[in-house]
Amino acid sequence: MKKFVPIFAIILIAAMVLGACATPAPAPTEAPTEAPAPTEAPAEEPKPTEAPAEEPASVWADVTPAKNIVFWHQHTKAREEALKAIVDEFNATNEWGITVEPVLAGSYSEIFNKVNAMLNTPEMPDVFVGYQNQVATYQLADAVFDMNTVIDDPQYGLSADDQADFIPAFFKQDVFPLYDNQRLALAPNRSMEVMYYNMDWLKELGYDAPPATPEEFREMACKAAETPFSGKKGDAKSVGYELSIDTSRLASWTFAFGGDIYDSATNQYTLNSPAAVEAMTFIQGLFKDGCASLVTEAYGDQTDFGNGSLLFAVGSSSGLTFYESVVKEGAGFEWSVAPLPHTGEPAQNIYGASVSIAKTTPERELAAWLFIKYYTSPDVQAKWAEASQYFPVRTSVAEKMAGFFDAHPSYKTAWELLKYGKFEPGVPGYDFVRGNGVDGVNEIMAKIVDDPTVDVKAELDGLNERANQILADQLATIKK
Amino acid sequence: MLEATTAEKDVKRKGLHYLNIREQLTGYLFILPAFLIIFIFGLFPIAYSIYMSLFDWGIVKGKFVADKNYIMIFGSWKNLLIILVGVGLLIAAEWVWKKAFRSNKNGEMIAKLLGAVVLLAGGGLFVTGWMQMAESGNAQFLNSLIVTLYYALGTVPAEIILGMVLAYILYQEIVGKEIFRMLYFLPYVTPSVTTAVVFQIIFSSRDTSLANRLIGWFGADPLKWRFEPKPFLNLLGINLKGFLAGPSLALISIMLYGIWSFVGYNTVIFLAGLGNIPKETYEAAEIDGASKWDMFKNITMPLLSPVTFYLTLIAFIGTFKAFNHIYVMRTPSAGVSVVTASLMIFDRFYKANQYGVATAQAIVLFLIILGLTFAQNKLMSDKVFYG
Repeated sequence: MKKFVPIFAIILIAAMVLGACATPAPAPTEAPTEAPAPTEAPAEEPKPTEAPAEEPASVWADVTPAKNIVFWHQHTKAREEALKAIVDEFNATNEWGITVEPVLAGSYSEIFNKVNAMLNTPEMPDVFVGYQNQVATYQLADAVFDMNTVIDDPQYGLSADDQADFIPAFFKQDVFPLYDNQRLALAPNRSMEVMYYNMDWLKELGYDAPPATPEEFREMACKAAETPFSGKKGDAKSVGYELSIDTSRLASWTFAFGGDIYDSATNQYTLNSPAAVEAMTFIQGLFKDGCASLVTEAYGDQTDFGNGSLLFAVGSSSGLTFYESVVKEGAGFEWSVAPLPHTGEPAQNIYGASVSIAKTTPERELAAWLFIKYYTSPDVQAKWAEASQYFPVRTSVAEKMAGFFDAHPSYKTAWELLKYGKFEPGVPGYDFVRGNGVDGVNEIMAKIVDDPTVDVKAELDGLNERANQILADQLATIKK
Repeated sequence: MLEATTAEKDVKRKGLHYLNIREQLTGYLFILPAFLIIFIFGLFPIAYSIYMSLFDWGIVKGKFVADKNYIMIFGSWKNLLIILVGVGLLIAAEWVWKKAFRSNKNGEMIAKLLGAVVLLAGGGLFVTGWMQMAESGNAQFLNSLIVTLYYALGTVPAEIILGMVLAYILYQEIVGKEIFRMLYFLPYVTPSVTTAVVFQIIFSSRDTSLANRLIGWFGADPLKWRFEPKPFLNLLGINLKGFLAGPSLALISIMLYGIWSFVGYNTVIFLAGLGNIPKETYEAAEIDGASKWDMFKNITMPLLSPVTFYLTLIAFIGTFKAFNHIYVMRTPSAGVSVVTASLMIFDRFYKANQYGVATAQAIVLFLIILGLTFAQNKLMSDKVFYG
């Protein structure tokens, strides 16, 4: 028996060596999974001979999309369900056999924190949502895929017509001049800051339309603080306007006063621009006169609006559904949305997270792109917009949503304001500038409205200096 | 014969030596898994943090900056040195006060006089160093340390005293004490993020919030609670400034949460401690005519001192690391008045992405906690009575 042991060992070793030598063997077994490539290739072969000058060959032609990719998003409840349905349909119908795994990875800021901690590691999700400033931060580490390399691709990209179908401002928003005009994301949806108003209360106060100017806004808000709405529910104090401390509010009011908080020509914050000072002085005055108060709990303004104790609220159009339900469950009055009161032309703050692709392997990048392309295609966009009440990003989608517009007049009103859109800065470090405990925009806003004697100009001057210092620190790390 | 004995001894010694090595190796083998876990998840991150703190580390690793991130905190090493000398003098003052010149006739008086002088000098140096640091260093981080200190001083004593009192009451023969024990312990085991949200609503600045309704019953005007950055003493009309002005009302709201959350835990630990005190001690005291208060003061408190020491130590470390509920309950209106050191570090890390600066701040906080724990151990250990 013993003499067979060495023979057995030799056979075993030989088998292992042969096995190792035979590593190319899986190729034939792998080949079928790559089958679409050979079958596609002959079809494309004539192209170079047919029209070599007209249509360049796809640089992605040799790349086989990865089979499994992960998508991190922040959508919950009905939106999550709608997104899952979209992903399921993609998984079932795409010709490359790609399977997308949607993962609810927390809120925007949680996703930001998590992605930051795993930049350029294999753990990075293939597709992830992010605001422009967050994506700009990731790109400090050169961790985001530049979609310019695929968006014009003849085989996998978007046709010129498709690209033209995107609302130009949305389409341009994810191209980053800071990074040599790289396209680091693509927008699947957008929302906008609008003013919600209680029409029945306005009528009781003697007005037949929402305020168009800041002066009218002040007059109505102050009157409302003294004259409660007849249908009011609960014992909350009546107030004209509730301000939620948020940098987006400062941006919205500054836009409405005809200014901006960032100068993209010089890449500098302008948080102390005359319009910003005027806007914050206006808000400070509302607080001083008792016409406005702070939002004290999460979504407290929605609750108060629904109960008829708040005349005006400013917030995202993506909250339309929630306002609809709080009014229905609350005081049940006629309400709608309008542009923020403005000094010149209306100017609306448009925002929304886009979807980006992590810089990984060409296979995973291509698979991620193919999913995003599907996600932003007109039919899918229509479904997504109706389910989420976000705005679609393509013009042709609006035509498909005629019925939805009729059923949701407030949504239609908001949609029509898109042409007045302006954006907040998409630069790295903006999250830090926004604040929370570090004398950022939020702290300064709170300080200004809390104390009517605070010098608005001086505070905004200091804030702007700090913001530009943060920006300079961040930009210093951009790889040259 | 003698040679043989020596050889035998040699063999024995070698055998023992071998045995010793084997035992040592076996011992090391047993502690290896624990060591690996502690090294990978405890020591390595600390070492790596120190490494990161020496670089200009943002989203990507930048150049080596040596002590620059630390200088940003202290302003200069000189400022830190002044503070350390001040602390050294404070420690020396305690020693002089208690132990110096005891062999002399008037030694105690001289010691106390000298101790007072050294104490003043130490305090003066500490304050000077701190003010210089605040001027030339990172004022925001230094402010966060003061906020942390307020938080620790405002919560730990209250948690300990309330915990002890509640444990003493629950230790008596009262109906339904098991239910009370469970109820008091519940806040500690409930996820802090959830309960902090409830406290958010209780301490809302609305006129109709629970806290405002409560003080309204006593005729007080509504307060802004979590939204109030002004020091509480100023609201009472006591216009002190700087450190003496004390914590903001917003921070006090958060402290109330901290106390509510940890009292139950302390109560349970104190109850365990009470169970270890022999009943005979109380019976003997009772026979001797001791009152309830006498027994509490002279038996319960001294015999609970090891538990008190343990809880105080753990609570102080905990307050310096407290994060979740403060993060949930803070508001922009409260500004920096509620930003403790751990929140400041979090913001630096995740919002500013200044990893080098954030890790330097974390190392400083770590050293402060280490120093305070050591000081607490030194100051309190001789007051602990182990029976």
